[in-house]
Formats: sequence, C-alpha cells, structure tokens
Amino acid sequence: MIDLSRPPRLFVLPLLAALALAAGCAAEKTRYGDARSVETVTNQFGSTDLQMIAESMTRSMLNAPVVAAGDLPIVTVQEVKNKTSEYIDTRTITDSIRVELQKSGRVRFAVDAAAMDQQIEELKRQQSDYYDAKKSAETGKMVGAAYRLEGNITSIVKEAKGVKDVYYKFNLQLWNVQNGLLDWTDEKEIRKTTSK
Amino acid sequence: MKRTWTIIVLLVAALAAGCGTKKGFEKPGFSFGCPIGDAKVSSMEDLVRLKVVHEGKRTTIEATEMRCTMTGDLHKVDVNLNNDSSQVKRITYKFRWIDREGMRAWEEEVWKPLLMYENSNLTLSAVAPTNKAVDFRLVLLSQE
Repeated sequence: MIDLSRPPRLFVLPLLAALALAAGCAAEKTRYGDARSVETVTNQFGSTDLQMIAESMTRSMLNAPVVAAGDLPIVTVQEVKNKTSEYIDTRTITDSIRVELQKSGRVRFAVDAAAMDQQIEELKRQQSDYYDAKKSAETGKMVGAAYRLEGNITSIVKEAKGVKDVYYKFNLQLWNVQNGLLDWTDEKEIRKTTSK
Repeated sequence: MKRTWTIIVLLVAALAAGCGTKKGFEKPGFSFGCPIGDAKVSSMEDLVRLKVVHEGKRTTIEATEMRCTMTGDLHKVDVNLNNDSSQVKRITYKFRWIDREGMRAWEEEVWKPLLMYENSNLTLSAVAPTNKAVDFRLVLLSQE
C-alpha cells in the first residue's frame, strides 16, 4: 500500500529537476542585436524611424542645388520642434543628419546656438594668461553660417477596436540666412499600425 | 531610279544614326546606366541578377527593372519591384554602396520596411551617399 502523506523518492527527484529547469528557463537572456534592423516592439517613435528619417533627409539634401554645387555651404542646426504627443529627443535626429552630411563631405557645420556657450567659454579660456598668445584661438574669427537647418515632427494617432494607427511626418527646411529664402525642404512620412 | 537610290541612302543613314545614338548611350562598363564593371550583362534580367541580393528568408517580390543615372557626381538608382502574388507582402530593403576598390563606400544602411499590395508594382529610388560609391547592391529581406 502507498503512503500518500510521504511522496516516494521516485517522484521527488524528477519534480526537483523540473523545477530547476523551469528556473533556468525563466532567467533573463541578453544578446546583441543588429542596431540597424527593423524595430517593432511598440508603435512609438523608435530607432528605425530615427534612422530612416536621418537617411532620407540626408540623401535628399545631398541633391539640393545649394549642396550639390560643391561650394561646401556652412550650415547651422537649429531646433526641430516636436509637435507629437510623445517624448522624442529631436536633437538625436538632427545629430544623425549632421553626422551623415558631415561624412559626405559636402556641408560644413558652424557651431549652433546650443553649443555656443561652450565655444565662447573655450575662446575665453584660450585668451587668458595661461596660454601662449601666438598659439591661441583669436576672438572675432568665427565663421557665421550661410544656411540654417530647422524642422518639425508631427504625428496623428488614432485608436479604435484594438487597432492603433500612428502617422509621423518629419519636415526639414534649409533657410538662407542672408536673404531669408527657403533653399531646400523635404519631408518623410511613416505609418505604423498595431492591432491586438 | 535616282530618286530610289536617294531614298535608300537616306534610310541607311537614318538607321546608322539610330544605331549610333544607342551605342553612344551605353558607356563601356555600364548597362542601363548602371555600373557593371567587367560583368557580362546582355539583358535587364542579367542586370537585376547582378545587382539584387536576397538575404535571410527569400521574398517572392522580384526586382523587374533597374535604371541608373548620375545626379551631379552621385549615382542615382531606380528599381522597379513587383509583387505578382495575391497577398500583401512585407519586406525590408537596403542599398549597399561599393567604392572603386570593391570595398564598402559607406556604412550599412538601415533596413527600410516596405509594404507591397497584391499584384502591384513600386519603384524604389536611391541616391548614393557619397561620390566614392561607384557601384551598389540592393539587398532584400522578407518580413513574412
């Protein structure tokens, strides 16, 4: 007769093994992924959107007559306004665009408003008595930008019956600082739909 | 009789002019405007086979046409994709840009998602990121 109050050893061992296995499966696993693959974890603004916008805008701008002429126009990056309902670090988008344009060797960038304080600080530091005056950067030699880059990102979000649709529109403009004319503009649209 | 000869001479001249224009259009090492190097390309199918690469799960979407031109000193590529199935297909694609030495002229592009409706055509356009890029490959990856 089997004593039910004391589980036989035959059952206890497999049970313990199964528990150990289950505990192992539940453990977190971390792996490196492809930073340029399509990311669809949620339908919020993500890395793929950022990279696609940067690439699309850069390639378009390289074709703009002011850039394609090869005169190395000097550009300053201004704000990209986030008009969406979510938090987007628009500085990351403009940073990526700047990286691609700079690497293309067709545009030069002047210090922008956000980095101006640091620039002035460094100039002042070099003008101090601690530095060799002959080898220090002089004040009054900075080059102003001929163009300014600004833009905005907007979104339309709709949700109904388990379906969420997000539409993003990123618009970028290159303005001539001297005459105030718009020399280039383009936009990139992205639509993402999530259904349960 | 003289008139007949004149017409024949004019016809031959017109034909020669036509052939001359076609030959002048294709530079050596180019086919449909696209760089081909030493590869033998005698048709659009050959060109597509040379330039399109499938990675991962193979998609049923086919590149059917490809044309290239220069915008300034940058290569511009137009590729016609065709989904002849009766289902919507999702793929991702990217271009790989190659320099004169056969090395990568630019870092890997981002995979770009693309939706193609059933029985539809779509034209992809791309411009090289740098004038160092003298050749390219279109890479397709199924998302099904």
